[in-house]
Order: sequence, then structure tokens, then C-alpha cells
Amino acid sequence: MSELIQVGAPNQRPKAPRADELNLRFSPTAISELEALKTHYPDLKSCVLPGLWIAQREYGGSLNGEAIAEVAHRLERSYAEVEGVATFYSMYNTHHDVGRHKIEVCTCLSCHVNGAYRIWDYLKSKLGVGNKETTPDGMFTLEEVECLDACDRAPLLQIGDQYVGPVTEADIDRILADLRSKSDSTVVQMADEIVKVHLRDGNK
Amino acid sequence: MAAVASEVELVNISINGVALQVPKGELIVESVKRLGLEIPIFCYHPRMKPVGMCRMCLVEVGFPGPDGNIRKMPKPQAGCTLPASEGMAIFTDTEQIHRDRKGVLEFLLVNHPLDCPICDRGGECPLQNNTLFYGPSTSRFLELKRHLPKAFPLSKYVTLDLERCIQCGRCVRFTEEISGDSQLAFRFRGASMQPSTFELTDFESKFSGNVIEICPVGALTNREYRFRARPWDLETKPAICTVCSNGCNIWFDHRAGRMVRTNGRTNEAINEEWTCDRGKFGHEFYNDSNRVKHVMVRNGDALVESDWPTAYDAIRMAFAEGGNRVAALTGPSNSNEDLYLLKKLFQTRFNSNNFDSRWTTYLPTAEDDLQKKMGVSMVQNTIADFESMSKVFIFGSSLADELPILFLRVRKGWFNNGNKVVVASDKPTDADSFAAEVLRYRTGTESTLASGLLALAVEKGLAQVPDATRQSLSKYTAEHVSDETGVSVDALHRAVELVAGAGIITSHGIFNTSQPQDTVETLAGLAMTTNGSFNCYALGANDQGALDMGVVPFGGGMDTHSILQGCIDGTVKALWLVGCDPFELHPDYDLVEKALENVHFLVVMADHQNGAVPFASVLLPETAPAEQDGTFTNMERRVQRMPQVLAAKGSAKPAWRVFSELAIRIQPETPPFGPADCMKEIAESIPSYAVADYANLGGEGVLIR
Ligand code: SF4
Ligand code: FES
Ligand code: FES
Repeated sequence: MSELIQVGAPNQRPKAPRADELNLRFSPTAISELEALKTHYPDLKSCVLPGLWIAQREYGGSLNGEAIAEVAHRLERSYAEVEGVATFYSMYNTHHDVGRHKIEVCTCLSCHVNGAYRIWDYLKSKLGVGNKETTPDGMFTLEEVECLDACDRAPLLQIGDQYVGPVTEADIDRILADLRSKSDSTVVQMADEIVKVHLRDGNK
Repeated sequence: MAAVASEVELVNISINGVALQVPKGELIVESVKRLGLEIPIFCYHPRMKPVGMCRMCLVEVGFPGPDGNIRKMPKPQAGCTLPASEGMAIFTDTEQIHRDRKGVLEFLLVNHPLDCPICDRGGECPLQNNTLFYGPSTSRFLELKRHLPKAFPLSKYVTLDLERCIQCGRCVRFTEEISGDSQLAFRFRGASMQPSTFELTDFESKFSGNVIEICPVGALTNREYRFRARPWDLETKPAICTVCSNGCNIWFDHRAGRMVRTNGRTNEAINEEWTCDRGKFGHEFYNDSNRVKHVMVRNGDALVESDWPTAYDAIRMAFAEGGNRVAALTGPSNSNEDLYLLKKLFQTRFNSNNFDSRWTTYLPTAEDDLQKKMGVSMVQNTIADFESMSKVFIFGSSLADELPILFLRVRKGWFNNGNKVVVASDKPTDADSFAAEVLRYRTGTESTLASGLLALAVEKGLAQVPDATRQSLSKYTAEHVSDETGVSVDALHRAVELVAGAGIITSHGIFNTSQPQDTVETLAGLAMTTNGSFNCYALGANDQGALDMGVVPFGGGMDTHSILQGCIDGTVKALWLVGCDPFELHPDYDLVEKALENVHFLVVMADHQNGAVPFASVLLPETAPAEQDGTFTNMERRVQRMPQVLAAKGSAKPAWRVFSELAIRIQPETPPFGPADCMKEIAESIPSYAVADYANLGGEGVLIR
């Protein structure tokens, strides 16, 4: 998805897909999960956030335009409205296609003074990518984030739904090796966890 | 305050030390207006919910303490989100507030490009104005400004300039709250937040032009008006939109004889302040190169330039036979004065009643008239009625396309008051998105569905009908109707509760369906027997006026179809087309072509070239609506005056003048000297128009009943 409007845009904009042109990709499980979630809220608008989590899982960890359009279609919202929500929150991966694992490095105050940038630089040179970039093999995405609210463990990383910290360069070598050997995507796994939490909370 | 109705709870507040009473909960930004004061605003819009996004409207607020002294809140409050409450003391003119306003504006201008010299909005820009009155004269921001693309074409009509956007959210809220298409949203956040469409696709809305007008900066501009003029070089005149029958009030901006743009003009009874895109961008034809400017008369194969006397003589000769040998057809945008004098010319000079203004497949006859048959009128409600009507039933009309402003009103009623809307249509429509019930019937089963609903209402005791009617409805069981129309039995049962007693909306488009008269009568009956109301609205700008003026062949003349048929078989020898292109208006193209080929003498009176011109014996240039003074009657039967804005092109004349000049040539009389005189004559011969005098047609217009 384009981050900002591109200069030199053509004079006529393409049209958004009509409902019948959408290539719907939700699995039967995803559909039944969404149906269950719909019953948790008084209106469909409130279901957009959990709907996007399902989509993030179904679409392999990122929310592209098609994923957003599918959520909007299933929740009877306009595409623009759902895109606005998705691009507002940083935990939805709308800005870039993420790799199998997303390594989020906190560089906020406590982590900073505890050497976050040493860790950051080390990761950058190890992976050969910069902020919000993905390694060519599609394995890792690196991202610099603000305070993760676990300053006692500074310097801190977040990988999937796990916090790792305090970390050293040696830890990083081990973590990367571990992640490489993992066959599942921690990004997808995290989305799945969050969907489960949503489903469980509603049944209380 | 006397103006406030007594049941509203009032509270005592003070503004800058002046005590006054206002309704409890009124927003302070509105309350200050009662004292003739104003708070600067950007994001607040009186017709949309307040959001408090821009902070321009800060005021100081205090309440009396135990010692009677006002104790101010430590921080200023946004006046646009602050509801009035008892004892509140507002200060809009303190040193603190002036400092705060300077601060807000300095921040807003940090990233604003200040390219006012090349901005379309320059000269009529709220940001420019507020900065002038309340802003700092210099900026402390020396760093580089944020750079974003400019002149991004969001749609055929709208250009987006992101650098100028101050992120007030007016455009986004318009598409959410008013037009309902939710085409715009804020993407991303913080400094990179940008209002735009989904993935920057085309901004597809039927009301997109309004966001151009409500954007408080030059971020959204009109692609057609772009760089055409500076606002202070424009001449602005109040006018009426003649694109459809809603009759929206517009400002008609022109410069050096050319139409430059139109903007919405407030008329609370009709369009509030909105316009639709079809109307807002539908006035370009004034500048077209294909305008008809000169009288032309046929000479062999060619039309050659001529003059009015020659044309009048030719027409006199050709129409001399009169009676059923001559005929006239009119188009949608002739004024009442034009139409009245046309009828008078035909009746008094040609002794003929062969004129018609209708182009639908089915043309109701004099006997079909609901007033005569059932004692009800085809138009019972005004546009504004639908705001407070708890149940609305839209039948067979894609309202947003046919009557866009009525659509906005119906939607507003649903959005603000929770009115229940039922839509029956054979195709998806824009109103489906907020309808409580959508009845999607098979094309051609309109009258079955209407009868089915009436039968069900009777069965449920919602409608009282005479036994004979009950008998005739007996075959319309819910199951039978469901089989025929494809609407489920359940849906019928749910819908009938909402339809009974509803305000029914349908349009003259219904006369293009099968068995329209049955449908119309059944719907009118449904409204009558359930205490609802029925409306079958006209669609062309002055179609309702044409009916009121009597441009229908009920005096024993031929209707549109028979006239065209008569041209083919030779009974009609001379035909006059008044501001209409039959190829566009008539459903049968071949019939029209044959008729125009065969008729002996064809007068085409038009303001721009159309399909009938090549067949013309005489081509008469007619002034377009904004080039003549005249009145139009909109679909709710409100008569409004369209004053002359532009000069006539070439030797064009208003149609009414042509008819009256010709009439005098045939038989002298005192002619009307202007449209106001015509209206006096109309008022004398058509009693309902007695109230429509040029002296009182200002303001919201005059409602005819
Ligand atoms: S484009 Fe205009 S109306 Fe829309 S948010 Fe920006 S400043 Fe406000
Ligand atoms: S600063 Fe890194 S977790 Fe708070
Ligand atoms: S007008 Fe009140 S915050 Fe914008």
C-alpha cells in the first residue's frame, strides 16, 4: 500500500473493486470466527478491529488492500473507513509486507539508555536491512518501536507475542538461529492468539 | 427569548458579561451567534456533528463560585463541543483567548504551504481570513516544511492538495454523515494523516462537489474551476439549478459572460446548502461551442442564417391549418412563462390542443387523474417533510440518481431521527444501505407488489377498504405475490408494518414500467387507507410546472406518442419542438427518427445543437434558463424565480417572447411586456398560482397546493 500519495499521479484514478470483483480469501474457520465475533458487539462497526486481526492472520501477516477490502465487505463498511482504522494502528502491518518474523526493537527512553541502539545497529548489520525492511529471503522484518511498557527489562525486543529482554548481542545470535529453525510465522501466530483472546473474552 | 419554543428547557449563561438564556445543551459556538458575535472555527460545521479537531474555537469558561465571583477553568475549552449549562460564563475576547488563537494558527501554519497566490481558495479561504483576524503576523518556524504531492486528481471533479490540508475532517465527516457513501477517510496518523479514498482510488460519490465547498482551506478544489478565476473577479448571482426537479438554490458565478462555477446556496426548504454533482457540474453547457445562436431557415439541403421575421412568416404559413394538423412537444427546462404562452398560442391562434410535455412510455390520460378518480393529489409532501416522517417508503426509484436532494433529506431523517425507510426497487440503490427493509422485486412486477402490500395491510387490519376492493385484492395472497415478485413472504410481512402510514415516494419514472397506472393507484390507495401520504414526483426541472400550466393534451389533443405517430402517417403536418431533443427523451429512437423525417414542417427551438436539428425546417435560438428571467416549479410544487444571470447568446430570445410575438402577428393583442406580466396572467387563469407573484418569489419560493 502506498505510504503517501505519489507525485505525477495519472489523471484518472482507478476505481475501487465492486463487491463482486473481490477475491475473498477467508477460510471457513475465519468466517465462523467472524460470525461469532459479530455477536459480541451491538453493531458491525465495532467488529472492525477483531476483523482486521483475522484478516492479518488469513493473509499471512500483512494487511494489503485486498485484505482490507475483504474485511470491509464482510462487515458492510466502506473500504476507506476500514483502511483508515487499519493504517492508524501500528500493530496492523499495512505499511509493508512483513517477513515470517517481525523483530520490534524498543528505542524509547529506558531502552535507549540501556543500549537499545547498540542492539539495533547489531541487528541491522546482522540482517542487512533497515527500519521497516524485510530480508530478501522473507524471513525477518526489522522495526523500531516506542516504549513497550516493560522498561524493567530494557533493552527489550518484541517478537510475535513474546517480549525478550534484557538482550545482548550474544542473545541475538541465538534468537535469530531459533527463529530461523521455526517453521511457523510468529507474526501469523500472534494474530491468531489475538483472535482467540477476542473470541474468549466475548464468551465470558 | 421569545423565539425559543416554550417546551425547550432554558439555561442562564453569560457571554463576555452579557446575560442571556439559551436552550440547555446548545453548543456555545451557536450561542455566541445570538449576540451577533462569532468564534473562529475550522472543523465545526452546523450541519454535522462536532468533533473538536482543530482547536480554533477556544473560549474561556467559568462558573460562579460560592462567593459569587466567576471562577475560570484553568484551560480554555473548545466552543464547538461545549454544551451550554446553567450558570456558565463564556469569554471570547480575553487576552488569553487571543493568545491561544494565535498559537493554534501558528501551529496550523507550520506545515501549510502558504501558496495563497496560486490557490483557488485565496480570497474566500477561512484559513486566510482567520489568520488575518486572529493569527500571528510572523512565524517562528524556520525549519523545512513537510512536502506532499499537490494537485492530486481524486476524481473527475475533485483535486486534492495534501500540503494545504489542515486535517479538520469536514470532508471525511461529510461523506460519512451527509452523503453516506463513506468514500473518504483519514489514512495513516499523526503528521502523515491524509484524507483520501481507499488506496487513492476514484472518489465515486454523487455528492462529491460539496466537500470542495466545505473544506476550510484550498485542499479540495474544483477540477473544472481550477485556475479559471480569482473569487474577487467573479460576479455572483443567486439562481436555481435546472438539472433536475429538486430545484436546488445555487450561486451562479460568472465572468465576462461565461459561466465559471456554481456553488450551493442555502434554502432550508430544499437543498439546505448542498448540491449534487449532476447539478453542481451540470452547467458547463452554457459555455459550449455548440450553442444555437442564430435563426436558421432551410434552403434545400442546408440551413441558412436568417432572421426572426422570416422565421415567423414561415411558421405562420406552416401552422396556418391549425387544429390536429399542428403539434408541439416541450422539454424539461422551459419556464412556466414559456409553457403557459405556448399553450395559449396553440389554443387561441392555432385552435389546437396538440401539445405535450411528457416523454414516458405510459402517458396518463385525463381520466387517470388521481384527483378526479380518488380525490388525492400526486404531490402531498414537501422535501422537508421527510426529515420528521417516521416511516418512508421509496418505491421503484433510485432516489440518489433521480432526486438527489430528496435522497439527502430522507437519509438525514434516518441519520438524525432514526426514521424507518423501506426501499422497493428492481435494482440496488444507494438508499439500500440505510433501509430497514429492502424489497428487491422482479422488473415488471411493480403493480403486483403494490397490490400485495395493500392486501397484506388489509389482512392485518392496518388498512380499511370497502368490500369491493377487499374482493379484488383477494388473489394477492402473500405467497402468490412472493412467487411473482421474488420478494420473500417474511420480507413482505416485515415491510407492511413499516409501509402502512408511511410517506410514499415514487417518481414519474414509474410510468416507464408495466401497468404503471395500477401501481400508482394502489400506492395512493395504500397511503389513503393507512393514513400515510403519497407522492409521485416529477423528474425534469420544470416537468411539474408543465403539468400545472396544462401542457398536456387533455383538451382533446394528441399525446406525445400519437403526435409522433401522426407525423409519420401524415396527420400532423407541422411540429414544434420547444427546448427538447426527442432522441434523448423518447424511449423509441426509431419512431422519433421516422417522425422527424416525415413531418412536413419542423420547428426546432433549442439552446444548443441536438439530434433534431438536422431535420429542422426552421431552427430558432432559445435562451438557456439562466439567460432569461422566469419561474420554475419544483417537484414539491414550489415556485421559484430564476433571474437572468447571463446575456442571451447571439439573437436568441426567451421562448415566451417568441410565442407572444408570433401570437401578435397572427392576431393583435396587448402582449405581456415581461415574465412578470406573464405570471400575472398565469395567476389569473390558474387559481393555485395566484400566490405566485414576482414580488413574493424571493426567499424560499412559494409553495403551491
Ligand atoms: S481536505 Fe479540507 S476538509 Fe478535508 S480534512 Fe483537509 S482541510 Fe479538512
Ligand atoms: S522504553 Fe523500552 S520498554 Fe519502555
Ligand atoms: S471548530 Fe471547534 S475544534 Fe474545530
